[in-house]
Amino acid sequence: MGPVPATEAVELVAQVARGDREAFGRFYDRYASLVFAMALRLLRARSEAEDLLQEVFLQAWRRAATYDPDRGNPEAWLVTMTRTRGIDKLRSRRRREERIRPVEDESPADQGAVASGADRSEAKLTVMGALAGLPDLQRRVLELAYFDGLTQSEIATRLGEPLGTVKTRMRTGLERLRGFLGSASGASVS
Amino acid sequence: MSHEVWLEQAEVYALGALDEDERGGFEAHLAEGCVICVERIRETSDALPLLARALRQEAPPAALKTRLLEAIDDDEDAIETEEEESATLPVRRAPRWAWWAGWATALAAAGLLLVVGFSLSKTREELERLRGRVAILQEELTEREATLRFLSDPKARYVSLAGLPASPGASGWLLWNPETHQGLFLARGLPPAPPDRVYELWAIATSEPVPAGVFKVDAAGRGFLRLPPLPETKTFDKFAVTLEPAGGVARPTGAMHLLGSL
Repeated sequence: MGPVPATEAVELVAQVARGDREAFGRFYDRYASLVFAMALRLLRARSEAEDLLQEVFLQAWRRAATYDPDRGNPEAWLVTMTRTRGIDKLRSRRRREERIRPVEDESPADQGAVASGADRSEAKLTVMGALAGLPDLQRRVLELAYFDGLTQSEIATRLGEPLGTVKTRMRTGLERLRGFLGSASGASVS
Repeated sequence: MSHEVWLEQAEVYALGALDEDERGGFEAHLAEGCVICVERIRETSDALPLLARALRQEAPPAALKTRLLEAIDDDEDAIETEEEESATLPVRRAPRWAWWAGWATALAAAGLLLVVGFSLSKTREELERLRGRVAILQEELTEREATLRFLSDPKARYVSLAGLPASPGASGWLLWNPETHQGLFLARGLPPAPPDRVYELWAIATSEPVPAGVFKVDAAGRGFLRLPPLPETKTFDKFAVTLEPAGGVARPTGAMHLLGSL
């Protein structure tokens, strides 16, 4: 079973689907920070993240009528849209860059992502404090897949580790993530 | 191979990180109808947004909201404006008015310059409005690029939909990619929908219909739809179109107009 869909949020999407602009404003206020954080993490460039945020909400406005609560709550719907579009952009950016300069890896300092110092000190502000407790290596493998759109063998190459090690870490990380779900689904981000 | 291995792959599949060589095999396993793996994919998919919620939240600049709200206003205005303009362009039909039209344009431009000169805030508003338009154009461009990629994929299959007794003269065709679950749909010859109704496309997996988008038709009965993301865990083999209340519904209720099989 997934998290209990927030019925209020589902009703908000239904209002948006009926073309209610005022409801769309409230929908935006409720989720803009989450989508923006996700866009910034995916694209790592402020102006591109702002564009992605606009595109995702425009898409939500246009496709609200196709939203199906059985397939996840509105938050998961938006996060998935942001990820799909963001990773599309990342991939086309990579293709452009590959045409210009064949091989250039990100600096290792750039890969830690969410687990950077500033974010860790803020971790208590999120309901997902427990998630911050995920061992760094497990977390990094999950992030490279989720935010950078890499497959297991691409992650192994990127980290210079055996594929088996990456698979084990990913499995353990996902298990823990599922475990957090039960305790986290009822809470909300403040 | 023990089923535990499939379950592990199910999680990685939900994360989108399964390598291509494993993905084919896993999707074949899913296609056999393994409900345990489907459930594991759902559980994992539900847990993944936690990664996003664990990020440091940051409010986007306030101007973005203004721009977005203007963009959705523009979204509908744009269509209406185009219609009005095409209906009131006597200049093209009567060339002798062109001279006057030239002056009128020049005067309008001069007027616009004056307005801009007098009111800097107007310029800013215009800039914001244009930014909204740019966001929409970017959105459209991204969609067109996706459409082109989709059309050029050799795995895409063609599905023909035939008119049923409710619309015997209608027909539809769908270009469907069973691997990526993406599709483009075109219909023609459908009767215009009443104002409070829309046509809804359904993707059917072993007699279970899943909503696949709503559309209206033009005066000639033509409609177009790019399908929203559909559950990748289902194997769709039939597609149908029904007439439903505006906004669409989760389960079909109205008369079926078109039907076709893969």
